[in-house]
Amino acid sequence: MDPDVLEFLAEKQRVNIIPTINSNVIHLISGDVGPFRAGLPVQVPLWMAVNLKQQQKCKIQAPDWMDVDVLETIKDREKVSRNFIKMPSEHYMVEAKLLLSAAPDDIPRTDEIRTIIKDIWDMRMSKLRASVDSMMKESGSYAAVDNLTIMEINSIRPILPHALDQLYRLKKAARMHGSTQSQNTTTFNSRLTITPFKS
Amino acid sequence: MDDSMGEQFDDSDLNITEEVAAPTTQDFGLDDINTSDTEALTASQVIELMESAWLNEKFSPEILPHKTEIVDCLLGQISYMEENLENLESNDFQKSLHQMETYRLRYLVTSYLRIRLEKIEMFNYEILKQEEVREEKNEESYLSAGELQFAKEYKENLEQHFDNVLSFWPGLPPDDWKKEYIKPNLHSFVFLKSKTEIEGVIIDDGNEEDGDLVDFKNGSQMIISYNSVSNLVKKGDVQLI
Amino acid sequence: MFGEKAVELVKEVNRNKDSLSPYNTDLIEQVNKEICGLIEQNMEDANASIAGSSNTAAYIPTVNVRHLSVQRNLRCLLSYHHNRVRCLRNMRWEFGSLLPPEIKSNLSSSEAAWFSSYSTSLAKYMRSIGDDGGVNLGADMKPPKSLYIEVRCLLDYGKHQLGDGTVILLKKNTRYYLPRTDCEELIRLEIFEHLIN
Repeated sequence: MDPDVLEFLAEKQRVNIIPTINSNVIHLISGDVGPFRAGLPVQVPLWMAVNLKQQQKCKIQAPDWMDVDVLETIKDREKVSRNFIKMPSEHYMVEAKLLLSAAPDDIPRTDEIRTIIKDIWDMRMSKLRASVDSMMKESGSYAAVDNLTIMEINSIRPILPHALDQLYRLKKAARMHGSTQSQNTTTFNSRLTITPFKS
Repeated sequence: MDDSMGEQFDDSDLNITEEVAAPTTQDFGLDDINTSDTEALTASQVIELMESAWLNEKFSPEILPHKTEIVDCLLGQISYMEENLENLESNDFQKSLHQMETYRLRYLVTSYLRIRLEKIEMFNYEILKQEEVREEKNEESYLSAGELQFAKEYKENLEQHFDNVLSFWPGLPPDDWKKEYIKPNLHSFVFLKSKTEIEGVIIDDGNEEDGDLVDFKNGSQMIISYNSVSNLVKKGDVQLI
Repeated sequence: MFGEKAVELVKEVNRNKDSLSPYNTDLIEQVNKEICGLIEQNMEDANASIAGSSNTAAYIPTVNVRHLSVQRNLRCLLSYHHNRVRCLRNMRWEFGSLLPPEIKSNLSSSEAAWFSSYSTSLAKYMRSIGDDGGVNLGADMKPPKSLYIEVRCLLDYGKHQLGDGTVILLKKNTRYYLPRTDCEELIRLEIFEHLIN
């Protein structure tokens, strides 16, 4: 998946903003947003928050988890846990990237937040690599990937699915080799491009 | 990586507010969208269903049953909004936000339809053959009427071109190539999130006659071969991610 | 050796995955000739074997090799053409139904016919979507980021009408900040370059 599609998915997450303008309720197709009262927090989709911020019509409130202390706790738990812990947001990487770049003046200690999030990401990535490695060694044919976020899953796509597919073909070929004679070589075979898999 | 890879996260530790929960995992209790009455849904539910169909189509190796009702319903909403927007001043504060939303939704719908077209072209023969089988069995078609028409024309057009290419052949051009065509790799691996409790999913691991049985918990995520879960994807019990 | 020329075709199409090289009429004719030659030889042997009838077994390995060579040649030939069709298809999505002349001149007449039928089918399909006169699937190709984007005009294009009716003069090497929808097509046609900050 392209990074811009990942962002598109994350942008529907809701965040709190403090508008600097007044406006009635906006009846979006996806639901009502507002009313906007200057100075009073209101919840909007992330894409709207970024858009309004660019027009300087609001301040963005960082989500509760986008806080140095909260993130430190998550980092510590990730460190001691053998498994992946559940992240406070399914899109924590994209949300952090979008909010921290759109509203660095609204969110305290942005540099520290960036660093901790990067640390958490790195820690999870190295766990992920180890898991993939052991999955390949055990030649597993399925695995639970609980608590991995979309972006993390995306980071092992397409390599892990491809590798598992190759493994499957090898297993299948080994089985075929044991049980059947050589293929009939005279059949007309004009597959037009390289076929992903022929059943 | 094993079944115990996940660890339950305790929300109370971190005082997480409700709004960070991803709305996509919500279950609207509509397990069969094809037969349900889309008019009874709110627009935001239609968007959820569209997003779900889009991601499933994006990650599924084969073409999935069409969602024409959802597509038409959402396109109707978008057009209605766009007409209303024409009456607003271009500097209207609300207008730009409405526009932004319609662009997002247009991307969602068109991307979904483009992914389907790509499959219809790539797996043209296979898809048309499957459609014929479904028609004989009186099953619901996977392609919309427009897609089916397009698929047939694509086939004719390609055959005409290949016949031209092979016209040097003394006598009639061979049509053996029509027997060997590109099929989707139904065994390719996909990531999914379960939307409900599912017991006894049979894994095709290419080794023994009978594969392992796996249970999915509601909300659990897996990497698994597509053919092990294709029926669950079509039923809406799991979401490809 | 049989089949070598056909493999050249496949290699050629593999080298130019995203662009369409000139239709290789010469090489294709050579491959076609090889195929016809092999078939003729097999026919001769088959006839001789029927006439003589004593030594049929001796012909079989040769006939088989020729037959397999024909099949391999055909497969390469179709692979070459199919991959070119896939490439043309992508160009339909990139440029619309009018191909730039430098690409058009690289097509065979059958490919040109394929392209025009594909465009027609696609347009017909797009008109059939929804209840409202259709949807252009060539638009909204990327997730929208913002309503306005910054672009640079790559040539002296002249007057251009925007979606809201205003007319602007597009000059070479000038930057504009315009609604995304007004830019999409011009970007695709390489009149605008999208400036990403």
